[in-house]
Amino acid sequence: MKISVNTEIAFTYLASRKKQTIVASLGVMFGISMFIFMQSLMKGTNDYFEKASFSSTAHIRLYSENKVADTHMLTSFLQDSSVKILTNPKQLKQTLGLNNPYGIINNIKKNKQVVAVTPQVSAQVMYSSGSVTLNGNVAGVSIDEEDKMFDVQTNMVAGNLHDLNRVNNGLLIGKGIADKLSLHVGDNITVRAVTGNPVVMRVVGIYATTIKQIDETRSYANIVQAQNLLGKDRSYVTDIKINLADYNNAPKVARDLEIITGYKAEDWVQSNEQLKAAFKIRAIILNSVIGVILLVAGFGIYNILNMTIYEKIKEIAILKATGFSGPAVISIFLQQAVYIGLIGAVVGIIFGFSITFMVSRIYIGAGTLKYLPMSFYVPHYVEAVIFGVITTIAAGYFPARKASKVDPVTIIRG
Amino acid sequence: MAEIALKAGGITKYFHDPVTFPVLKNIDLEVSRGEFVSIVGKSGCGKSTLLYILSTMDTDYEGKLEINGVNVTGKSLNELAFIRNSSIGFVFQFHYLLPDFSCLKNVMIPGLRLGRLSYKEVEQKAYEKLKMFGVEDLALKSANKLSGGQQQRVAIARSLINDPAIIMGDEPTGNLDSKNTGIVFDLFQRLTKEYHQTIIAVTHDEDFAQKSDRIIEMADGEVVK
Repeated sequence: MKISVNTEIAFTYLASRKKQTIVASLGVMFGISMFIFMQSLMKGTNDYFEKASFSSTAHIRLYSENKVADTHMLTSFLQDSSVKILTNPKQLKQTLGLNNPYGIINNIKKNKQVVAVTPQVSAQVMYSSGSVTLNGNVAGVSIDEEDKMFDVQTNMVAGNLHDLNRVNNGLLIGKGIADKLSLHVGDNITVRAVTGNPVVMRVVGIYATTIKQIDETRSYANIVQAQNLLGKDRSYVTDIKINLADYNNAPKVARDLEIITGYKAEDWVQSNEQLKAAFKIRAIILNSVIGVILLVAGFGIYNILNMTIYEKIKEIAILKATGFSGPAVISIFLQQAVYIGLIGAVVGIIFGFSITFMVSRIYIGAGTLKYLPMSFYVPHYVEAVIFGVITTIAAGYFPARKASKVDPVTIIRG
Repeated sequence: MAEIALKAGGITKYFHDPVTFPVLKNIDLEVSRGEFVSIVGKSGCGKSTLLYILSTMDTDYEGKLEINGVNVTGKSLNELAFIRNSSIGFVFQFHYLLPDFSCLKNVMIPGLRLGRLSYKEVEQKAYEKLKMFGVEDLALKSANKLSGGQQQRVAIARSLINDPAIIMGDEPTGNLDSKNTGIVFDLFQRLTKEYHQTIIAVTHDEDFAQKSDRIIEMADGEVVK
């Protein structure tokens, strides 16, 4: 490949001022490695919280929502186009169960994006043991499918979750409930649903998530047990939980399911507004920190090139006198900035990866979080290089333009 | 009638600082191909200013300038840069080599800039030019390690790399001892006689001027004779 004379001059200048080149590259390197580190930390944290949230929330939850009476029935009865006004509309009395849940499930399974569907019977209950009572809810599930979707197994602290299938009247309780009611695996607990009779159940396991609220209220039972608790038949299902291949599609798929089934489909975004807000805030903090770092690195390059131009002003005049045009001079100095940027980028990637790796080995030990969550995500590295090079080009352009405007006559004549 | 290398008509220039006054007044000038012209005059008579206008580096003037029969007045800076690169060579009083480069590179850079020849050919040519001036041994030395006379010879070699029609010198011997002045003058004379290159040099050196083909004497912004 033929190296242009501009490139050759740019390289010679960089090489003849090694110290400054290194200092400028170090500035870019820190910018880029911090960018990578912060992005990795943020993505790691976000992924962790997302995963934690999905350990208790399905991507989409389909359930029957109470409705307020509307004019729909009246219109279909009268078959005219008059305007109907309902005064003082009331909540419609409705069962919480879904009609033909297994038909709906089969229907949902046809959607290509859906990877898992499981029915659930939710029941508001009161737990009691001895004289202490506690409000909570029982999720009647097929524990195998629940485990597949939410990885219940990793949260188990005592007992065996598969005992739910084997033990009649088995119950898997949260650690909060166990502590408050002083229960251990094998103990009995009285569970009473709002609409049913008290049932004595046996604790077969204890689990702990990182979310205290869930640990203190929720317990798992076999779906049949939950139906019994409520005094309902086997076709009674209150929720259908759906997981998708890509949870980012949840809002769209949820809209589709609402239209198909006529029930309320709540996606995880709606039920985790605070999670979204936290993501956004972290992104703002991160971007401002990165922005400042790159700005500082940019000023470093700007300063160094500016100084170079003051020092080399006679040489610039000579180059112009011997036929280097303005654009050629810009090219010489801009290339210096770009090479500084590229050197900084390469070293920055290596350094950024190293600190990310080292930090990911720091022990935290809070709840289920053992190590700092860091992600190693290739696009971060690509973005870092792009931003780094853009910053250096922007920082190099202004000094380069200044160099191109040097008037050889005034310099050479002194 | 010899071929005209450079023709200037009605060149007038004003300095505006601190007050506006004319530094060049309606100067007409013709230089033929292969001519060795000296411009002499007292300090402040405008001879250097005239040279920089003739060199196309200074564009702030009134009048017309033709180089090799091509009008250059009013051309864009980039076009002028190309004209300087291809048809004008420069020799300055203070050598003005690029200190970070070797002598050879210094000579090669304008040639590489022009890009008519390959890197190897430019290198070959640069060696020839250095040889002409007897400094080929210094080719790989860094430019800032040379003596003044050596630097000036390298600078002249550089001015010749693109075989320019005109070579302009602003006091090319002003910083040299008499021995080196003699060498440089002989080289200039060889260039005009053997290679038919035109030389326009501003000088204070009376001997140097006397030996050239033509002397243009200036005073107060006008050509006296």
